[in-house]
Amino acid sequence: MKELTDENLMRQVANGNLDPLKELFERHHKHVYNFLFKMSRDQMLSEDLAQDVFYKVMKYRSSYNNGNFVSWMFTIARNSLNTHFRRNKDNHGDIADLEGRLASEPEEQKETYSHLHQALEKLDNSDKELLILNRFQGIKYAELAGIVGSTEGAVKTKVSRALKKLKIVYFENL
Amino acid sequence: METRHVVDLLSDYLDNTLSESQMQEVTEHLKKCSACTTELTQLKTLLNAFEEEEAITVPSEKLRTTFLQQLEEEKLAAEGIVTLNSKPVESNFQWATVFKVAASVALLIGAFQLGKYQQQETSSVTIAALENEGLEAKQTAMLSLMENQSASKRIKGVGYIDGFANPDEAIVQALADRMQNDENANVRMTAVEALDKFTNSDSVKEAFIAALKTEKDSGIQIAIIAILVRIQEKKAVAPMKRLLEREDTQPFVKEQIESLLPTFI
Repeated sequence: MKELTDENLMRQVANGNLDPLKELFERHHKHVYNFLFKMSRDQMLSEDLAQDVFYKVMKYRSSYNNGNFVSWMFTIARNSLNTHFRRNKDNHGDIADLEGRLASEPEEQKETYSHLHQALEKLDNSDKELLILNRFQGIKYAELAGIVGSTEGAVKTKVSRALKKLKIVYFENL
Repeated sequence: METRHVVDLLSDYLDNTLSESQMQEVTEHLKKCSACTTELTQLKTLLNAFEEEEAITVPSEKLRTTFLQQLEEEKLAAEGIVTLNSKPVESNFQWATVFKVAASVALLIGAFQLGKYQQQETSSVTIAALENEGLEAKQTAMLSLMENQSASKRIKGVGYIDGFANPDEAIVQALADRMQNDENANVRMTAVEALDKFTNSDSVKEAFIAALKTEKDSGIQIAIIAILVRIQEKKAVAPMKRLLEREDTQPFVKEQIESLLPTFI
């Protein structure tokens, strides 16, 4: 049997049949969790936020606009993360402050971060986000444009630039 | 120029997302450009690093169990909403509310109108009584009209004095009371005009003098003064002089008093 698309499943959910959400959860929860984890490096937080993302998908199902499901889901994930960081600005400073957190953490733990990750942490938050979404989550430029609210061409250029920056940081510290 | 162009295409080259002609162009270029080849090697290393790290962290089982639990709760809630929101029920429910509100409003208006109607009934009965029954009944009706809540009804009551050639003391007292104490100036004025016909009664004279002392409305003051001057009531001189001295007395009332005072002999 041909597998239903995410959009097909989500349309059913939007129309009041909630069961297909289970399938959507199985397909995507790891991606969402990993996006959040790679952005925040915080397992507990990522789990809480991933939980929140699927809860919102369920609660706001009727506002699903028949667009790309993955884009929609990551838009929610991104917003949850941004809201979290805004709310905790007083405690954590900006998301850019993660770099500082990284430096202040114990040496052993720092070593568990891959070289790639240490390089990613040195980028702007938006560059880091684009690369994580594009490279780790395999999100195509068109969907990425939908998530960050831009055009495909502009996103492609941004990703390409971000990759160049990353390459410089990655190799100068190798 | 050409070099930069190819560098931009390298990630797509590695991703295998270039068109055939672009692919060929890059391949050709790489053969003769060492800078771009180095670039490509670095990029490959970098993208490999991404792939290696792709081996992802797995969220705990709690994420799934909590989600499934939330889903079940939502399904229950949604069912609840569906029964409530199912079209006919919803519309019935709303119409019921509308009818309830409409009924309350209708009841309220109905009760108000009934009360109003009954009061009118009483008044018309009273008026009818005045026209058709004996003097005593008329008198009672007139007295009751003068106690009515409505100023226009009281005026009507006062006006019925025309039907009495020789009203008894009770009616004169009631009129005097209206003249001195009614809150409505028009009622007081009507009472003044009504009492004008009974100036031969001492109690009426007394009432005029008392009213002149308390009356604040300049029109009524002038009307009372005119009557008192006409009947040459000497006792009116003192209150008239007092009016002259008072600051809140209207100038034209003072003029009137000044011009009339010498007429008292």
